[in-house]
Formats: sequence, C-alpha cells, structure tokens
Amino acid sequence: MRSVLKHNQQKRLVISLFLFLIFTLTIKAQEGDPTKGKELFNANCAACHQLENRLVGPPLKKIGEKRDQKWLIKWIKDSQALINSGDKDAIAIFEEYNKIPMLAFPNLSDQDVIDILSYTDTDQMLGADGKPIDEAYLNGKKVFQVNCAACHKLEKKLIGPPLGNISDKRQMPWLKSFIKDSQAMIKSGDKDAVAIYEEYQKVLMLPFPQLTEKEIEDVIHYTTVGDNEESIQLDAEMDNADLELYRKWIVRFVIALISLILIIIILSTKNLLLKFLSIAMIVLGLTYYAFSWLLQIGVDDGYQPIQPIAFSHKIHSGDNKINCQYCHSSAKHSKTSEIPSVNVCMNCHKSISEYKGILYDGYDKAFYDGEIQKIYDAVGWDKANAKYKENFVQKPIQWIRVHNLADFAYFNHAQHVTAGKVECKTCHGPVEEMQEVSQFAPLTMGWCVDCHRTTEVSMATNDYYEEIHKALAKKLGTEKVTVAQMGGLECGKCHH
Amino acid sequence: MASDKKYWKSVEELKAYSPLIEKLRNDEFVEEIPIDEFLGNKENLDNSSTTRRDFLKYVGFTTVAASVAACEGPVIKSIPYVIKPEQVVPGVADFYATTMADGYDFASILVKVREGRPIKIEPNKLAGGSTNARVQASVLSLYDNHRLKEPKAYDKVIDWNEVDEQIVSKLNDLKSNGKEIVFLTGTLASPSTESLIAKFKEKFGNVRHVQYDAVSESGAVDAFEEMYGVRALPNYDFSKVKTVVSFGADFLGDWQGGGFEADFAKTRVPKDGKMSRHIQFEANLTLSGANSDKRVLAKPSEQAFALINLYNKLTGNNLPSKKTTIDAEVEKAAKQLKSSGKNAVVVCGINDKNLQLITLAINKFLSSEVVDVVVTRNMRQGNDAEVIDLVADMYAGKVGALFMYQTNPVYTMPISANFKEALKKVVLSVSFSMNDHETASVSNFALPTPHYLESWGDVSIKNGSFSLMQPTINPLFNTNQFQDCLLRWIGSEETYYDYLKKYWESNILIGAAWSQTLHDGFLNKQPKQLTSFKAVDLSTSAQEIAKDFSNKGFELCFYTKTGMGDGQMANNPWLQEFPDPITRTSWDNYVTISDVDAKKLGLQNFNVSNGALNGSKVNLTIFTNELKDVPVYIQPGQAVGTIGLALGYGRTKGMKEDMMTGINAYSLYNDFKSFQEVTIEKTEGIHEFACVQLHHTMMGRDIIKETTLSTFNDSSIDPSDTWNKTTKVSMDHKAVAASSVTLWDNHDTTIGHHFNLSIDLNACTGCGACVIACHAENNVPVVGKVEVRNSRDMHWLRIDRYYSSDMNDEVAETMDLGVLDKFNQMEVPSGNPEVAFQPVMCQHCNNAPCETVCPVAATTHGHQGQNQMTYNRCVGTRYCANNCPYKVRRFNWFKYKENDEFDFHMNDDLGRMVLNPDVVVRSRGVMEKCSMCIQKTQLSILQAKNEGRVVADGEFQTACSSACSSNAIVFGDVNDKTSQVAKLVEDQRAYHLLDAIGTKPNVVYQVKVRNTNES
Repeated sequence: MRSVLKHNQQKRLVISLFLFLIFTLTIKAQEGDPTKGKELFNANCAACHQLENRLVGPPLKKIGEKRDQKWLIKWIKDSQALINSGDKDAIAIFEEYNKIPMLAFPNLSDQDVIDILSYTDTDQMLGADGKPIDEAYLNGKKVFQVNCAACHKLEKKLIGPPLGNISDKRQMPWLKSFIKDSQAMIKSGDKDAVAIYEEYQKVLMLPFPQLTEKEIEDVIHYTTVGDNEESIQLDAEMDNADLELYRKWIVRFVIALISLILIIIILSTKNLLLKFLSIAMIVLGLTYYAFSWLLQIGVDDGYQPIQPIAFSHKIHSGDNKINCQYCHSSAKHSKTSEIPSVNVCMNCHKSISEYKGILYDGYDKAFYDGEIQKIYDAVGWDKANAKYKENFVQKPIQWIRVHNLADFAYFNHAQHVTAGKVECKTCHGPVEEMQEVSQFAPLTMGWCVDCHRTTEVSMATNDYYEEIHKALAKKLGTEKVTVAQMGGLECGKCHH
Repeated sequence: MASDKKYWKSVEELKAYSPLIEKLRNDEFVEEIPIDEFLGNKENLDNSSTTRRDFLKYVGFTTVAASVAACEGPVIKSIPYVIKPEQVVPGVADFYATTMADGYDFASILVKVREGRPIKIEPNKLAGGSTNARVQASVLSLYDNHRLKEPKAYDKVIDWNEVDEQIVSKLNDLKSNGKEIVFLTGTLASPSTESLIAKFKEKFGNVRHVQYDAVSESGAVDAFEEMYGVRALPNYDFSKVKTVVSFGADFLGDWQGGGFEADFAKTRVPKDGKMSRHIQFEANLTLSGANSDKRVLAKPSEQAFALINLYNKLTGNNLPSKKTTIDAEVEKAAKQLKSSGKNAVVVCGINDKNLQLITLAINKFLSSEVVDVVVTRNMRQGNDAEVIDLVADMYAGKVGALFMYQTNPVYTMPISANFKEALKKVVLSVSFSMNDHETASVSNFALPTPHYLESWGDVSIKNGSFSLMQPTINPLFNTNQFQDCLLRWIGSEETYYDYLKKYWESNILIGAAWSQTLHDGFLNKQPKQLTSFKAVDLSTSAQEIAKDFSNKGFELCFYTKTGMGDGQMANNPWLQEFPDPITRTSWDNYVTISDVDAKKLGLQNFNVSNGALNGSKVNLTIFTNELKDVPVYIQPGQAVGTIGLALGYGRTKGMKEDMMTGINAYSLYNDFKSFQEVTIEKTEGIHEFACVQLHHTMMGRDIIKETTLSTFNDSSIDPSDTWNKTTKVSMDHKAVAASSVTLWDNHDTTIGHHFNLSIDLNACTGCGACVIACHAENNVPVVGKVEVRNSRDMHWLRIDRYYSSDMNDEVAETMDLGVLDKFNQMEVPSGNPEVAFQPVMCQHCNNAPCETVCPVAATTHGHQGQNQMTYNRCVGTRYCANNCPYKVRRFNWFKYKENDEFDFHMNDDLGRMVLNPDVVVRSRGVMEKCSMCIQKTQLSILQAKNEGRVVADGEFQTACSSACSSNAIVFGDVNDKTSQVAKLVEDQRAYHLLDAIGTKPNVVYQVKVRNTNES
C-alpha cells in the first residue's frame, strides 16, 4: 500500500516537472480562440462550472481578470498539487467549495487553457454553432417583426418600400427622425420625405415614438445584414402555403359553379333524364362530403395542445441532439413511451439553469429561463445554492397528452422500437423540428394497417424469427416478409 | 271454401263466462305495464304541460346539443412521477415474492404489480407454492372500500397517538392490578410475531396467548400432540400414495389447511398402467368424494365405528366397536391398504381427538411413507379447550385485556351472544382487523390493520421452511400492523420491519442473505426433529367414541365452501359469484339433503319459467339453538340421514349489503364439532337460488369420456373404437372420422405458433382456482345474484359438473323401456353418483361456427389458433352465441362499471385498481369470451423478440394454466414438437369436445380414467 502511494507521488512529480518545462516553452502563446475555447469548456468544465452561476464549482465569467493566467494554468492542470503546495488562494477556494477537489486536467495544453479563458472572458454571446451571436441583429429582427413587418419587407415592396440595405440610401439621423415621426418631417418640407410620401400614394407611415435610438439602430443593422438562409426558406414555404390556399379556393369556386349550373338545370329543364342525373350528382356529391366529414371525427392529426411548460423539442432534440430515448426511456421496454419524470429533466438542468441557445419565435432568454424555472418549482431545486430544498412538497408536472389512442386499441412501443426497429419519427414525425409537439400521424386504424401491409420485418439478426422466416419464405416464395404476412393484421392482436 | 270453424284458444273459452277470458280479450297486456318505473311519477306525468310538439323540440335540441358537444375531444393529462423509482417501468409488470397468511389460507405467492398496484396473484412455483380460489381472489380484498380506514375507540375515530396513549396507560393499570392480558388470534405460524408476543409477556407479565381457528382442526392437533409431543399437524406426501382411504376428510379441499391436490394429482394420471386408488367414506359430497374412485355413503357416526373396525381388521386388535352397514366396504378397503404396503394412508376429517388418534395409529401400523411426522405443518394451531376456558374466564371477569387479531369471534363463536356478553366484562377489548366486522364493531378499540399485500411478516408453514411477507403497495389507509403496535406498546423505538430483519438475521437466516431470501420469498432449512413417538392407549379412545357417537337423529355435517372458506373474505364479489364446484350455486349457503330425505320431509327443488332454481326452506334446531329459514338444496350423493351446511356465510357487519348472503352456520357449531345431531322441520317460503348449472347428467352423451383403469390397460382393444370413440360418418360409402369431413377451408397454422390447451380430466379436482384467475386476469365483471339467476353470469371459464345416472342404454334395454321413459330417467342422477368435472372455456375451434355467422366480422381466427373477439367491432347481434355449440360466449347485457345498478368492484375507484390495464373493460351490448389470454401470449412473444431468442416451453401460459396447481391445464405451442402440450395432444387419451360436429377445437381433453380395481 505504502509503496504504491510513493510511486504515485513520484509519477506526479515527474509529470508536473515535464508539464512545467512545456509551460515555459509555450508561455508566449498567441491570443486565445473563443470558439475553440467554448468547445473545450463544454467538454471539460461544464459539468461543474457555469459562467454566471455557482454550480459544483464557482462561476467562471471573467475569471481571467480575477486570477493570474499562470496560476490558473497550474490550478487547472493539478489543483490538488497547488493546494498541497500551500498556495493561499487555492486553499481558500478549496475551503469555500466544501473541500471538493477539482479534477486535474493534465490533458489540456496551455494553449487550450488560454482558449478557454478567452471564451470565459469574452463579452460576446456565442450561438449553438460556436459563432458569436449578433445580439443587435437578433434584437433588430425582433423589433422589425413586431413593428415594421406589417408594411415592409426586406426585398419587396409591400405598403411601404423595401428596407433591405436602407442605410446605403439614407443617413442614420434622417432615418431615426423619419421613423419617430414621418408626418412632422413631411410637413417640415424635407425633400426626400415628401418624395417618398408622393411615391407611396400618400399613405402615411405610422409614427413610432416609443422606439429607442438603440432599437432603431438595431433594426437598421438587421436590414443591412438581411435574413439568414433559414428564414428565407421559411418565407418561401409561406409563399407555397399561399399558393396552396389559392388552389383550394379555385377548386371551391369550380365546385360552387358546377352546383349552380346543376341547380339551374334542375329548375329550368323539362328533360326528365337530365333532371334526374343532375339531382343524382348533387346527392352523390353531398354524400361524399358528408362521409368525408364524418370520417375525420376523432382523427386529430395536427393536435397541438398548449403544455404547462413551453418545452421545445427543437431545442432539445434538434439543436442539442439529445436522443429521443434518453428521456422517453421506457419506449424500448414497455408498451408506453413514458413522459419523463422530473428527475430525468434534472439530470441536465441541474447544470443548465439558463438558456443560451438560439431564440425562436420572438421569445427572449428570460422567457426560456422562466420555463426552466418551472421544473425547479416542481421539484424544489434551489438554483442559487445548487441543491434541493428541504421539506419541499414536490408536485408532478401535468402534461397534456398529445397522442391519444382509443382505449380499445392496444399499442406497444417496445414491439415497434426494439423488435421492429422502427424510428420514432416514422410515426411521430420530425419532432426535432417542432417547438411544441403536434400529432403528426392520424393514428387511425387504416394508417396502422397500411404500414403493416408494406413494412418488411427485419428478421436477419433476430434468432426468434429463424424458423418462422424459413417456413414463411418457403411458403411465400420470397425472402421479404411483411408484418401483415406475420399475422400483423389480426384483429385480436391489438384489440383484446 | 271458407270454413267457419272456430279455434279455441283455451279450455276457459268453452265456459259461458270466464272473467279471465274477458280480461284477455279486452286488454292486450294482462298486467299493467310498469311504465312508472322508467317514466318516473305517473301523477306528475299526467299533469305535465309538455305537449308532444314540445317533447319533439326537446328531443331535437338535446340530440343536436349532444352531437355538437361530442365533436370536441376531451383533454387527457399525462402525469409522470416527480422522482421515478428505479425499478418501475410504466407498462411493465414487476413480480414480488410474498406469502399469504390470514389464519385460514397460507400460500407462497408471486404478486404481479403494475405501476405500483398489485393486480394478480400467481403461485410461487420456486417455493412449491400453489393457489386456490381464495388466494387468487385475495388481491381484490385489498381494494375493498369497506375496509376499516381509521382507528376507532368507543365508536369514535381517533388518531394513532391517542390510541397508543390510552392503551399503554390501561395496560400499565392492568399490570399493577395483576389482571390478565390475553391475545386471542387465529393461527399465526409467524416466528417473529410469536417472539414479539413473548417480549410483550416479559414487559407486562400476566399474558396468555390463545389461538383459535374458526373452522377447528383442534382434534387432529390434540391427537398429534398426544402421540408425537408437538402441537402441530403431520404433513402428507400424497405423491407417494397407492391407496388412500378417507373418512370424511376433504383432502382435495381445505382439510387441515389444504394444498395436497398438486401431489395427489401426480398419482391420478395413469402412468405405465398404474394410478392410485382413492376410497372415500363420507356424508356430504365433497371435492375429494367427487374425485374418488369409490365413494361410500356413511353418516359421521357410522364413519367413526367403521374407522375402528378398519383398525381392528388391519391390526388384528379388538377395540370395542359396533357393526356398521358399511363393514363390507371397510373390509375391502383394508385389503387394498395392506396390499399397498408403505404407500397406503388413511385420513380422517372428523374433528375428534379420539378418531384422529386411531387414524394416526393406523398410519403408524401401516408404516405409511405418505405421513411425515418430522416436517410438521403449522397451518392449524387452534386449541378448542383453551378457547372454551378463555370465554369462561372472560365471563368470570378474570380477563383484563383482550387483544384480538386475525379472528372474528363474535361472528364465528357458536353461541355468539354469550361471547358478546363475556366481552363486555373485559376491561379493555381491542380488535385488530381489516374491516369493521362483527367483533371490531363491539370492541372498545377497532384498529385497522393493513392487508397482507401491504404488510411485512413471516410465516413458517412447515417445520423447517420459512417464508417472508413483504409489502407490494404503500398502505392505502391509515393502518398500522399488529406487530408495530405491540412494539410501540412495549416501548420500543423499532419498526416491525427492523425487528423482523434482526430476528431473521439472528435466528433464521444464519448464512443466507436477507435480500436474496426476500427476493425468493422463502428459505428452506433442514427441519429439526421435534417429535418423538409415544404409545397411546386406544381402548379408552374407543370407549369415548362409543359414547360420543351414539346419535340417532339427523346428522348435520359442517363444511367450508371452496369459494368462501371460513368467511373472512365474504365481501369479495369474485368469491361470492364463484359457483360452488359441487352444487354450482353462487351467492348462497344452504342445507344439502338427499333426495330420499327430501321426499320424506316434503322438500322440493324446482325450476321456474326462466330456468332458475327455487327451493323450500327448513328450520334447524339443536337443543335450544335454532336456525330459521335455511334454504334446501337436494344434493345427489348426500348420505341419507345427514344434511350438510357450509360455514362462512351470513356475515352482517362491515360489508356491502349485496354481499350479506346466506345464513350463519357457526351459530350451530356447538363445541366446534364438525357434525351435530339436529332436527329438521319444513317451513313456509321459497328460496331463490343462483345456480348456473340446471342439468345434472349428460343424458348418455359423450361429453366427458370415461373409462376404467383395467379397460385402459387392455392393449387388445383399440381406444378409438371403445373408450375414446371417434364419431364416424359415411363418405364415398366408407366410414371415416367425422372430423376428417369438412366444408371449410382450413386455416394454415403450421407457421409460427399454434396454441393448444390440454385439460386432463383425471387431474382436475374442480377446485376453481382457474375460474378466479381468469376473472382477475381478464377484467370479467361480477353481475350479482339476480343476473346469475337470469343465466347472465359472465365467467369465461366454467367448470361443468356431471353426475352419473342409474339409467343408461343397456339398463333401458333390459327393462324394455321406451325412449321417453329412458330419457326421463336419465335426467335423474343416482343416489350415490360418480362425479366428473370438466372445465369449459372457448374451445378456439379451427372451424369456428361463431366466425361464420358474425355479420360484422367481429370474431375472427388468428394464425396462432386463437379465435379472436374484437369488442369494438361487435354490434351485439348475439348470432355467435346462438351458433356456439359449447355455449361459452358471454353477452354484456348491461354496463357493469360506473353504473347505478351493479355496485361491485368495477363501480368504485378503489375496486377498479385491480383491473388489468392490458385488457379492455367491455361495455354494454358486446359479446365477450375466453381469448386464450392473447395478451399473455403476445407478451411472451414480444419478450422473446426483444431478446432475440425462441420462446421456451412453459413460457406460454394462460391465467388458468398458471393457476392450476394439479397441472390439469397445460398450455403451449403445438408447433414446438418438444413441448409438453404437443405430446398431450397426441396422447391416446386426448379427445375433442363434441368432435362429431367437426369444429376442430384447439382445446383437447384427456379421457377420465377411474381405478375401479377392488383388490
């Protein structure tokens, strides 16, 4: 026992000496790279540290300003050694944080540490892609959408002129005063202002005295940068949807026209056959509509209830790429896929108490942080001190069920997920793109049966199917066996 | 040509004036139609100003409003745990090993728990456990809404702290006064509880513990104690039996705690041409008698002397006795016992110490290997003499405090009023109980105890074997265990769990791990040799018998029903609706009487227009004790001069009114004697029975095929021509098996699984555990007595019972009887019939008649052989039930959950917790039937698929097959040629029910073989 300990100490000594040598070689390192630093921070530090809040360890925002860089490098690489060496600051921290020693990171090079520090010390916000978030841009976009989008677009004329790169055409002070009160400017006889007024059919632009200078600057910044690709795509989709709507209206119009003609025929003609045929057509048409209306009763695809927490699958599953079955863990074992209990949320949200990702749909950071707080309220987590409150009565979160199968239909997730190896999104759709989950599939029996008819059972790697597959392949004369051929259409298998 | 011929509708019309005819002519409905019942108050209706137009407007409006409102779906919440327990996966069942011990039933079981709710009991086969109907049903008693939910003192609800304070102060008072403290309990058989009572004694000094079994086996226990020095019962290994002779012992039922049927069944299936021989001398027709090879009718008083005669015959001794009418049979039995050597055994069911001594002596003389005096059984420890002493002491005011646990003496004591009076003289009476029953309601303190599924505990069912009881759910109500209370009252800080664990670690485990034992539920150790044989003078016993058994009048024999036991689970609707295996009657107890005696006394059983059974009533008197208006059931096979009456009915407190059925027979249970001399007197009134089988005999049909062992062993005959005859039809002028001719296209069941169920009529004792297991697994509703009378019972699995008749084709020929006379007489069962049981569930026909007639294809056939019933597709035409030759389909005439009419467990939130979430609760107007537990077979397949392996034999189980302790019901996949069921289907005894109609069922029966060899 004793010899092992000695051996370890020796080893440690050698390593520190070696590291120290490297340290002296690279002491004049270049500037840190905050993007790389963020990656390293997330990989190594984020389990115990946050920028703003105390977690297991202290918050690290601007830590480079508090401590000497050399000291930090020593501390990160082997804090225990530093404490043992009697460093005052080191001991003070050790005492303050309940004598939990920080893990040693000998694997980090000096450059790595500098990168991390450049990340912790930067003022810029970084997006999920590691690039700095342009706050002015985001804010500007938001203000634009709330105030300007009713009359302006970036690229096209709407009621007002297109605003893309407006700062190339006009000066900032002019823009500010025009936005705050265009009417006053026109009255004052400003040439440009009057010209625009004339050009746009003398429709007055609403005054926006409530906007601050900063907000106007942000809006102009946004118009200069323009929309990123994603939102352009979104716009295109919107246009497609418009087109779809037009088509629908055209169809409706045609149907109405035909009905009108038929009615006129019925009323005017004396040809009995024609009359009969017209009536028959109307009756058939009405029956068709009545049936299609009846058939959609109880079919709720698109059902998107408002949940008690604005939980975004896009953020969790899309941006952060959390596997579906991390939270819905019983899907592989059980008939139910299980709404995760709050302790599963807390696995991550113990350390993620605020939202730093992309802001969607005009929500701000405070909103998302508030939603995270709802988990803490349910489970009684004291964010500031990073521990559970004592004697707290925990209460479950009452989610609204989105996928409601009738009670008389038995569905088993494990059958599909584990035995059938069906992807979650086959039935649940692109959940990773949904802010709030909506029902993707109609969940009708016809929908189930269609899939059972066409889906091939993957039998190759499962011993259960060995004999059955041989026999079936012989009987059917094909290697491919569908669920239906395995008996997947039998009533009693799902209705018992 | 027109004729003016007049057709008379009835003879009445021939009379010049008949008021009846007049009435019939004028009124379409002779009786006034009771429209008030559904329209409410007739007077109001007449005065109502609502016109027809208004009415139509209302109807229109409500229809539209209802349909508009229905368009919006309900919002369903999904509420997960806050902190999910690690072992719980929603949707996946957990199984916990525990032990049931309620003083009457003791069983090692596995409890199926879904999302924290126990929903099903399975036998713990690892521990050799088996379940009967009551054990299977006990899970529903957990969710009984009539349980005692709060502690009560002097009829007021108080909290546990006050209970502790008041009782401890009273105990201290009693201690200083030197008054006696008594524990009156049922059989505990719990080592840790007994040690706790000993600790209590250390603290409070003057403490006595009296054990009391409501249905006494004290005679047997006393006898064993006298002969072997230990207060216990011998164990019997019936798997070694070659010949068993029983004197009134229902050893396939609840005799001495029961649980022998599994071993005995092993000897009943002919193997290498051999099977055991079972001779039964009895008065009531019991399960054992029904399954015996030879049944001899004898009054208990005759049985007693026959037993002595048997002793004399075997040993050559000459104990004083009397001649009996059955001595010839005794002589034959003696011969067979002798020839079976060490594999012979005699058992006796009369609760009398002297008779039990003689029985023990016979077995000792036979050196029977069946009897095990080392591994003794602790399931019955009641001591009648001590109980009688206690009541006397209570009456004399000598008892300071009485703690009652697992006992309900006010209900079960013979002269209950005396006990109540005695109880009043006790300073402090405390009843620990699950419900506010007869005793709890008259005790000072009524303290609620948890159900065994919410409790910790231990049981030593047999010497050397120990089982643990563990909670499978958090306590539902504000209950405390008896043991926890004792610990608090002796001033200990420990919980019973700590105490139990410590006790086991220092006394029982010794080397074994606690967690492993808890996981297994039991621990078997080398039994300690506690007994030592001591010779007993039997001549005094014989003299006492001569004195005690000198009855002259009618003899009343008490018995317990398979469904109700001693009556503590009377508030369990499953058990109330469970038809008695012998009488096939539910919701009742009654006097069973022989046809001969019934005729003498003018007693009748008759069927009314809807087929339901009605019967006369009698008054029973023993000395001054009278039991009035007891219904009479005429029982074939009841010994003349005797009547039977079941204990366990007639409860009146702490339960639903619907469940307060029958009459309390304990009131006649004088001196805890299992038979009494009684006088019977017919009284006015007719009783309505809820009997599910109206026909007694098979009328000469081959519904149950039966043969004798010698015929079975005769290799010179072809079974298919003789004892397992297949019906032949002519095709292309050749005789071929009826099942080979078909109009149908066969289903291809060769690929994948093909499920078959084999039922061995030799092993089936008719115990009915499968009926309750099916009830629990498949959410079968309880319909109540009235609906059972209407033949609307919902059991998916029934056990038909058939009696033999004295009339058959040969007899009719020799007597030269006409067909009508023959069939009329065939309907009448013999006075001492041979009995056979046949469990019948959906036969899952490969060519199913029900499938072809369903207009909406709601019942279809699966590739795995199951006939599937799709409830949501059914529109309730009931064609299928009409076309089913086996009559196994059940129709939901009403909605049995959330309704106003049928207030059973499905009608309250608590009772619904027992429902199996994998099976739909059917609504009104749909047909239902046995699904061959498709939810279980599908689950086994899924588990195999998920684990990437084939399904092993034995993995496929139905609820009935896994509950069957005698292994009569075997389920499996016949496409797996190595499986047990595949072999059984090919067995020469296998046959299909009504094979002539060519339905090709997936259920096969094994021909019943009786061992009629008399030497």
